[in-house]
Amino acid sequence: MTTTAIPPEARRAPAAAPKRRPRREREGAAWVFLSPWVLGAIVLTLLPMAVSLYLSFTDYDLFNPPKWVGVRNYAQMFTEDPRYWRSVVTTLTYVVIAVPLQLALALVVALALKGMKRGKGFYRSAFYAPSLLGASMSIALVWRAVFNDGGTVDNLLGTGGWVNKPGWALLAVALLTVWQFGAPMVIFLAGLQQIPAELYEAAAVDGAGKGRQFLSVTVPMLSPVLFFNLVLQTIQAFQVFTPAFAVSAGKGGPADSTLVYTMYLYDRGFVASHMGYASAMAWVLLLVIGVVTAVLFRTSRSWVFYASEGDR
Amino acid sequence: MPGHRTKGFCASAAALALCAVLAGCGGSGESAGGGKVVLRYTWWGNPDRAERTERAVALFEKQHPNVDVTTSFSGYDAYKQKLATQAAGGDAPDVMQLDYRQIDQYASGGVLLDLAEQKPVLRTGEIDPGLLATGRVDDVQYAIPQGRGTETVAYDVQAWKKSGVPLPGKSWTWSRWADTMRALAKKTGKPGATDPGQSEDAFEVWLRGQGKALYTKDGGLGFTAGDLTRWWTFTDTLRREGAVSPAEQTTQLDGSVENTPLGRGTAVTDANWDAPASGFIALVPTGVALAPMPSGEDGTPGQYFKPSMFLGVSADTGHPKEAAQLVDFVINDREAATILGASRGIPVNETIRAGIGPQLKDFDKTIADFQASLEGTLKDPPQAPPSGDNALQSTFQRDYDQVSYARMSPREAAENYVTEAKAELRS
Repeated sequence: MTTTAIPPEARRAPAAAPKRRPRREREGAAWVFLSPWVLGAIVLTLLPMAVSLYLSFTDYDLFNPPKWVGVRNYAQMFTEDPRYWRSVVTTLTYVVIAVPLQLALALVVALALKGMKRGKGFYRSAFYAPSLLGASMSIALVWRAVFNDGGTVDNLLGTGGWVNKPGWALLAVALLTVWQFGAPMVIFLAGLQQIPAELYEAAAVDGAGKGRQFLSVTVPMLSPVLFFNLVLQTIQAFQVFTPAFAVSAGKGGPADSTLVYTMYLYDRGFVASHMGYASAMAWVLLLVIGVVTAVLFRTSRSWVFYASEGDR
Repeated sequence: MPGHRTKGFCASAAALALCAVLAGCGGSGESAGGGKVVLRYTWWGNPDRAERTERAVALFEKQHPNVDVTTSFSGYDAYKQKLATQAAGGDAPDVMQLDYRQIDQYASGGVLLDLAEQKPVLRTGEIDPGLLATGRVDDVQYAIPQGRGTETVAYDVQAWKKSGVPLPGKSWTWSRWADTMRALAKKTGKPGATDPGQSEDAFEVWLRGQGKALYTKDGGLGFTAGDLTRWWTFTDTLRREGAVSPAEQTTQLDGSVENTPLGRGTAVTDANWDAPASGFIALVPTGVALAPMPSGEDGTPGQYFKPSMFLGVSADTGHPKEAAQLVDFVINDREAATILGASRGIPVNETIRAGIGPQLKDFDKTIADFQASLEGTLKDPPQAPPSGDNALQSTFQRDYDQVSYARMSPREAAENYVTEAKAELRS
């Protein structure tokens, strides 16, 4: 394949670097190197998206050819499907519980690790590990066992199994996500280390205590990082699937209490064989995530502080 | 330069690895090394069924040295979803176990092979014509029934005997059944039965006991929201009294016997199909026996003999002949029948049924005797359910969840279900 074409190019490159090559030629090389990814994006992302958009206007049961039905799927979703609205409410509840909890925990641990002198590497890895493991099905199954009737939590707290109680099951799912706070924690940690020590010294000279320093120095200086984490985790939370799937054994139960949006989407597509309906749901989710992100960006103007703004 | 050589080497290694990966993704029925034909055979069931199937498959491989069979199984719910996805992706296993509810959808979707094409290697002469016809859609034989099953009340013999409550007789009505469950719960301190409210199958038996059916001849809904309200009110009351399993246990049902209250040792009985009931043996070491399902108040039986499950061959298989040979082996081979016993219901091949009947041992014999005791007393089975039923089975369970967690009244849930069912059957 391209292996024969690229080496001569590459061999010449260092020598030619000082002289500026014509723009065209450099662009050509860039495209050659990009091609696997561009192809991947087209074949694996754009094409399936286009197909899914088409399917969302059809009745498609996986087995027979899709039948064009116009906006019927969308209409049915909004007007005749109580379970759809239940899944929307469940997902919003989940986002509101999981995201703030996860970010708070990530920030607290990042603050604790920042001041630590020894064993920092160890603790950082230890707290990060769940994020690597957490996405896997096996951990989610362990979670189910822990919170099940007669499981560890039941034995310790005598609360009965959380995953069997409609009022508690969603919390068990949220906790699984909260526990995977490693990624935002590492980003917080990086952000904290960027804050110049002089600011704290200046604040201390002015007589600010720890709490005051946190509110007046740490929070504003960290706000871009906080915003970044908030956007990222919110988008992820809207798409939660694995923990809800595993904890409810693929059913969104008990009594639909863990039937988050993507679970219901999966149910419509793969259990009930309504791929058209599932595709329509996917597009609505995409739009909603887009809107929520836009709203977050808009509100960010009033609370996110960029150090460079001082120059303006 | 050495650095450059390394880069070139890496690139070709990567290319090689990619080729290997792509080659590994070949479709089903590819020939593996050694020129052997590889068949994929999947089914749902419990470990007992798996163990026997593995032994039968080993025997088939011995008889057909050119064929290698790879098998896989899972619980019913997971199996249903996985198979649908595979079939839609054109990657259905060569030989697959199918449920009555799947035949219509899979046949009309072009997933299944017309088995008449394989007549020379797949003999059907010894199967009861009526039973064989259940695997036919639009006069094409898409699947072969594997066994005959019926619903049953499986019970923990020792727990029941110890309670002092009289053992179930030859027939009982739903109201006598309910009284017995109350008495069992009182004496044993644990629920008498799995809450049958979540089971579309149990509802069907109850409905048939009143001369009605789940579906009409033309595939519409055969009952009203009022019927379902009465059923769910009946089971909801029993649950509130503690006569049947609480919501927390009922919601964990997933089609496997391991997750039933009887399997977990938290109830005395469980309404189930007779073939999977063999899985209780391992879970209830003190012994399991079978009783008939309750009948209507005037004695009308609701349960029926149903083709327990089918075998179908993928329309896309690369080796239709070998796949058909495997189906033939499972259904018509005497030795295979001895190994498989009644793990998929009583064999459909009449000669084999007559031949191995007396040799059946242990629980297989229990199942055979149970079926014999019902012979001639049951009504005809309903026709194969319409495609939409496949999804409705889980909808039924979810809607009842709302009742058992007291989030909806039986009437609200029933109306919900009927609305959903009508939409599902229309599309």
